[in-house]
Amino acid sequence: MAAAAVAAMATAADDEARLLRLEEQAGHGGGGAWEYLCLARKLRARRPDPVLRLGLALLNNSSARSRLASEQWTLYEQVAVAAMDCHRLDVAKDCIGVLSKQFPGSARIGRLEALLFEAKGEWADAERAYALILENNPFDQIVHKRKIAIAKAQGDMSLAVEYLNKYLELFMADHDAWRELAEIYVSLQMYKQAAFCYEELILAQPTIPLYHLAYAEVLYTMGGLENLQTARKYYASTIKLTGGKNTRALFGVCLCSAAISQLTKGRNKEEESSELQSLAAEALLNDYKQRAPSKEVLITNMLKNMKLS
Amino acid sequence: MGAECQYELAQAAYVKLALHALKHPAAAVNGLLVGRLLDGASSPAVVAVVDAVPLSHSPHHLPLLPTHELALNLVEDHFGAQGLAVVGYYHANALRDDADLPAVAKRVGDHIFRYFPRAAVLLLNNNKLEEAVKGKNREPVVQVIVLIFPIQAKGSVQLCDNLLHLSIIK
Repeated sequence: MAAAAVAAMATAADDEARLLRLEEQAGHGGGGAWEYLCLARKLRARRPDPVLRLGLALLNNSSARSRLASEQWTLYEQVAVAAMDCHRLDVAKDCIGVLSKQFPGSARIGRLEALLFEAKGEWADAERAYALILENNPFDQIVHKRKIAIAKAQGDMSLAVEYLNKYLELFMADHDAWRELAEIYVSLQMYKQAAFCYEELILAQPTIPLYHLAYAEVLYTMGGLENLQTARKYYASTIKLTGGKNTRALFGVCLCSAAISQLTKGRNKEEESSELQSLAAEALLNDYKQRAPSKEVLITNMLKNMKLS
Repeated sequence: MGAECQYELAQAAYVKLALHALKHPAAAVNGLLVGRLLDGASSPAVVAVVDAVPLSHSPHHLPLLPTHELALNLVEDHFGAQGLAVVGYYHANALRDDADLPAVAKRVGDHIFRYFPRAAVLLLNNNKLEEAVKGKNREPVVQVIVLIFPIQAKGSVQLCDNLLHLSIIK
């Protein structure tokens, strides 16, 4: 189980590395722009500047564009969104114009037009446009999410939370939405509610180390002996799921152990935890020895201080 | 405890925190400020902010405790060797027009204040940052809030040579 999780994380890291490499290469005129754009789309990576630059160059090159045939419309969409992210609303408007001529009456284009209202900050127009789309398809996930995004953009966090909760009643398998909700709860310092979101995520996908790590961090922030002990367990499971490669989790184990021993000073110390702590400490030191030897002394000092406390 | 205090922000610190915010336009960013008290006896006291240490830009880590505890620990240790201490904290909000100091900033500021009573919290003004990048505005892009527990005093900011002078006058 753990091996599959590690392998999955490795592929994701590979993809990210490939994306950045292609970005460099294409940016310097070395070709591979279309490959880059496809990969960016697949990974749903948010890199508006290079996507806009490379995408626009492709679209403005009529021979390259005709070679794309039917794929050019996806590119128009991708460039439109990147343009809005870079606040190049003129480019976005042009792309949307081309698309609406090609696909009149399309809901997908309608979403882009509403997104343009959002980019301009014209919230009322955006909401009206989205409401129209929802009339035809009340289960359009993307439109529901845009409504949440509008609430967030206007700074109305309690409304965003309300919408998100309603959304999750309909689409409880949307993991990104659970993460988003947890993030908003954390920003509102509603840690118990954030913890609940992470618990849902861990139940649904127990082999994703990201959720274990985030859960541990929230528990640590909440504090108290029980939470710290649970946090340490989840830092430990993160270490197991990532094959010991996650530095944050290694640090987390040490921080928890130090905090717990502070709280239980004078009481009988549990024996099972000391092995975990010393293993984590050793792994940390080795990591620093290999990757940042100049900072190793900082870690040694920190660990020494923790053992004393 | 004098309410007057001046902060001299070195170029390295100022540019670093601005670049940190610019690198992550869609997220909130934060970081620590390190420096030293130049002359505690003078009035107003002067704190030299020598460097900035960017902390995070991920909304899943930024408002949580483990990152901050660890960072304060390691940064104090590392810069302590050069005679510098953690003297403040900077924060840039994700939403452009959000000019409020979020709760996490106040908590970190309070914590730093306990060890350095003249701690400063800098809040980046996103609008001014945008204008500065476009070359339209040469005003400083930060607003300084000093936590003189339990009072908060806002300060004025001046750009002078290679140093940014921030003054707090109650």
